[in-house]
Amino acid sequence: MSRFEESAPARGGFSYDLCKRNEMLMQKGLKPSSYLKTGTTIVGLVFQDGVILGADTRATEGPIVADKNCEKIHYMAPNIYCCGAGTAADTEAVTDMVSSQLKLHRFHTGRESRVVTALTLLKSHLFSYQGHVSAALVLGGVDVTGPHLHTIYPHGSTDTLPFATMGSGSLAAMAIFESKYREGLTRDEGVKLVAEAICSGIFNDLGSGSNVDVCVITKGKREYLRNYMLPNPRTYVSEKGYSFSKKTEVLLTKITPLRELVEVIEGGDAMEE
Amino acid sequence: MGDSQYSFSLTTFSPSGKLVQIEHALTAVGSGQTSLGIKASNGVVIATEKKLPSILVDEASVQKIQTLTPNIGVVYSGMGPDSRVLVRKSRKQAEQYYRLYKEQIPVTQLVRETATVMQEFTQSGGVRPFGVSLLVAGYDDKGPQLYQVDPSGSYFSWKASAMGKNVSNAKAFLEKRYTEDTELDDAVHTAILTLKEGFEGQISGKNIEIGMIGSDRIFRVLSPSEVEDYLQEVE
Repeated sequence: MSRFEESAPARGGFSYDLCKRNEMLMQKGLKPSSYLKTGTTIVGLVFQDGVILGADTRATEGPIVADKNCEKIHYMAPNIYCCGAGTAADTEAVTDMVSSQLKLHRFHTGRESRVVTALTLLKSHLFSYQGHVSAALVLGGVDVTGPHLHTIYPHGSTDTLPFATMGSGSLAAMAIFESKYREGLTRDEGVKLVAEAICSGIFNDLGSGSNVDVCVITKGKREYLRNYMLPNPRTYVSEKGYSFSKKTEVLLTKITPLRELVEVIEGGDAMEE
Repeated sequence: MGDSQYSFSLTTFSPSGKLVQIEHALTAVGSGQTSLGIKASNGVVIATEKKLPSILVDEASVQKIQTLTPNIGVVYSGMGPDSRVLVRKSRKQAEQYYRLYKEQIPVTQLVRETATVMQEFTQSGGVRPFGVSLLVAGYDDKGPQLYQVDPSGSYFSWKASAMGKNVSNAKAFLEKRYTEDTELDDAVHTAILTLKEGFEGQISGKNIEIGMIGSDRIFRVLSPSEVEDYLQEVE
């Protein structure tokens, strides 16, 4: 009977059968398929009552902004949320799958999920795919053992930190954290610092932009502040509107049926069956 | 599972056209502790006896009524360990349905999938049928629903039903007392009275279990003190 990994390949882990073929194709000039990356600035910090997570909302596909207002803070459990950077499909699928596993686990044990459980499920999954699942995550939550914040890298390594940043805008955000973070922040101070760090990523990194999402998790309560800040509104929209040149006028509608050019031959040879 | 000498199906037809193993499974159910369910106009209640083999057993650790999803609960009559396997499979199926369709599984679908599992065990090699009948209580967009699933895999929707030891008396009692527009609290009282009919010994909050779901669509098992409150109302 299978245990919890019903979506993993039959023998477990990544199947390397096609890697040689892919290498050969790349040498012959085949470009690998493009995918939607999140660019991204994601951050998290621990404050006196719990954990605050923050993320920007831009999803990029190469140089194009594919989604101006996507959601990067994913639900894992009522008391655990996860920010995702990397390939958008990978982060969504992985967080969805582990959220499902946590739900089943809650049914079986009758207890609130713990952050380390989510952490271990995520890292085992990512490790078994040897970094090919391109998901870099900031996982935060509050459980019976207290508030926890972790970072998870695509290859499956994790860190436990009081404040963390990931994504292409992580250096910009980390600069803010390193200068202004201290232990025992209040809720308002923490939210302000997170918003500042995300804004730093939004304005200084091309891969991050648009709005700021914030999620505050405390014991027994969580507040998902979607679009907490909108520092990039569309300010100038022309009031005159746009006028296009008039369409060509239709003067006459006349349908001329085609003339029949079929000759009817009487008594010709019938076609063979 | 199919490599041993016993890889044929044990549920083979008898000359009279019956599956004897399933009949025996139903007998196992019939000798289990009484459980019943009643569908009210605004919810469903399920209840069961919780007779423990000895006074030394820690009754707080035993829970017969289980939650399958936040809005569906289940109680069984028959072999406890068999019911655990079914509860585990049903929970997983409900979760897989949610992952696929991003919608909470409707009660009929979950019942159908559970019944399919039970039927598979009557037509596979090297396994035996489940020795439990389940009463599934749920509240979804179609309103309150109560289903019974048998070891054969057949399922029925009931307005009120009972299973286990005292089934004929309990069903007769329910037939007399059931009304179409009964409220959830009245249904709980009726359930308690039905259990009391065939109960040996003193009924209390510790030796029966009651689970209910109302229009808030959250299934919960009542605590022993809440059961005591209802018992006192009935007295």
